[in-house]
Amino acid sequence: MSPAPAAALLAGLVAAALLADRTASVGAIAALLFLVCLRAPARRRLYLAGAIGSGLAVVLVTPFVETIGSHVLWSGPTVPVLGQLDVTSEELRNGLFQGLRLTAVALAFSAYALLLDHDRLVQAAGFARRSVLAIALATRLVPTLERDAAGLVEALRGRGVEVSGLRGRARLLTPLLAGSLERALNLAEAMEARGYGRPGATRAPRDRWGLRDRLAPLAGALAVVLGVLWL
Amino acid sequence: MALARVERLSFAYPDGGPALREISLELRAGEVVALLGPSGSGKSTFLRALAGLVPHFHGGRFSGRVEVAGLDTRSARPSELAGTLGTLFQDPGDQVVFTRVEAEVAFGLENLGTPPLEIPGRAAAALAAIGAGELAGRRVAELSGGELQRVCLASVLALEPRLLLLDEPTSQLDPDGAANAIDLARSSGAAVVVSEQRPERVLEACDRVLFLEEGRLVLDAPLEEAFARLPPAWQPREAELPVAEPRGEPVCRLEGVSFGYEPDQLVLQCRSFEACRGEIVAVVGPNGSGKTTLAKLATGLLEPAAGRVVRRGRACYLSQDPGRYLVAERADEEVALAVGGDLPRARRALGQLGLSAQAGRHPRDLSSGERERLALAAVLVAEPDLLVLDEPTRGVDPERKDELAELLRRQSPSRATVVVTNDRVFAAAVADRAVSTAPEREVVLA
Repeated sequence: MSPAPAAALLAGLVAAALLADRTASVGAIAALLFLVCLRAPARRRLYLAGAIGSGLAVVLVTPFVETIGSHVLWSGPTVPVLGQLDVTSEELRNGLFQGLRLTAVALAFSAYALLLDHDRLVQAAGFARRSVLAIALATRLVPTLERDAAGLVEALRGRGVEVSGLRGRARLLTPLLAGSLERALNLAEAMEARGYGRPGATRAPRDRWGLRDRLAPLAGALAVVLGVLWL
Repeated sequence: MALARVERLSFAYPDGGPALREISLELRAGEVVALLGPSGSGKSTFLRALAGLVPHFHGGRFSGRVEVAGLDTRSARPSELAGTLGTLFQDPGDQVVFTRVEAEVAFGLENLGTPPLEIPGRAAAALAAIGAGELAGRRVAELSGGELQRVCLASVLALEPRLLLLDEPTSQLDPDGAANAIDLARSSGAAVVVSEQRPERVLEACDRVLFLEEGRLVLDAPLEEAFARLPPAWQPREAELPVAEPRGEPVCRLEGVSFGYEPDQLVLQCRSFEACRGEIVAVVGPNGSGKTTLAKLATGLLEPAAGRVVRRGRACYLSQDPGRYLVAERADEEVALAVGGDLPRARRALGQLGLSAQAGRHPRDLSSGERERLALAAVLVAEPDLLVLDEPTRGVDPERKDELAELLRRQSPSRATVVVTNDRVFAAAVADRAVSTAPEREVVLA
């Protein structure tokens, strides 16, 4: 499938997950997106862990920061600022719902980052090409940081310095951030030197859309309608 | 008529001293100009001034005038100058916009408004011309440094500019690839300004030589005259790789080793490789032939798929990318990482590489040549039994290279040293013997 219709379909699924108000519906969308992500050939573990981990965090935290419902399952101590900690069955249900929502959105982003050809997506952009390019470059940040981190660790190991534990890895955060800022500046300079931003830009010819490509945006739109009306 | 005219150009970066001082010259259509000078002498800044990036992109204090094809760079933005001139920057990894090679080469053509149907053909032709046609469908992240450099050069050549500005375009290329790149730039018909730290690669192909020193143009002469006036270290040198048998106590031995990053893709097969205490071994070979893989296997950063690697004592590896030696907040602290924070020892190592004055500076504030030397100091300080240097002369000027060769020779009795390099002049100057990873990806005696 071409990347533009695939992106439209993913956007439709995200919208449906945000509009739906049944936990089962959101869970089904998240499961579908999870299966899609499993098709990614490499690097999927980090994205899946991030998506599921953030969803789980919401499931765990929500009951303690929300105060809804009257069916108390557990009563805890009173904590300054937060008040009395208690967990109700309504809070648990809502936590699960919000966690699944976040997981679905994060999985859709993972599928976008892992499976779509961003080059063709930028080339296919008929309008807002700058925004699409900016999103594509931002998406590349995760694998680039991953590669940079591996390079820093390798250079340190090459000097006999082992990087271990949370503290050892935390030490790499500042150089990684500084490195990505430096790279962003260099890239911006190189782009300007290659005429980026000049009026009258053209696009290399795009691939023709097949039947699946034409159906995908329709399926995305259908998902939104279903999300509003029935899910 | 001059294609480009520079009149009394002076420039200083926003927080720095003068980078260029009172430079005046003219560039004529079709001429090939070698731009030489020590690290930090202003070569890259001068190229940026020609491209209009200085002052538009960097800010700073600019005086004088630069005119390219009749356009004053003070009023014309760099994007307006693109196409008339094409710029290749020093670090190919930092100028790639897209993830696939063909899209990357097409990017500049799209920006310049090339008719859509012409774009694929021109991109493919530029890649083929630079000998990288087979890379068209590859992902950029999978390319070696040399392959990436060729792709970036193809991206610039595809624009068919009238003025080509090349900032160390061959720093990651093997000698054949470098000669091809320079020939191609020359045959493009454009005026070419090539900044180089390996003068032998460009002097044979150029018509005129510029030499910068501390931002001043101290030499502007036709090639023949320049030969007589260039400092000795910048004169082209013969490079005959030494052939010898291993001698001394083996510190590292690879036996029947093979390795692939993917299970079905063998990168290196090595029947036998040995590095002994007291000798310096140069590993040469074309781009993508497994030199870096051999270096990493020797130091234990990679484990072989088959065969055996035997090492004695501490091994240190210097990566090709000096950007990986920017972890600490000060240069001396960066170097001290390998010796448990021993700052006096780190400062001595910095001193050996002429960086004493930079000890307290942030590593990111150093020039690219200084970063290369900082990275060297960061591994030399450990005084390892096996020292493996991967392209240690990238971005290093000839005088510094001579000093590095002398330093390595002086310290060689205490360790086994392996130098992976495309710089045959350096290899010839420093090594006791050379091995090659070409052409069948099997390590053999050169």
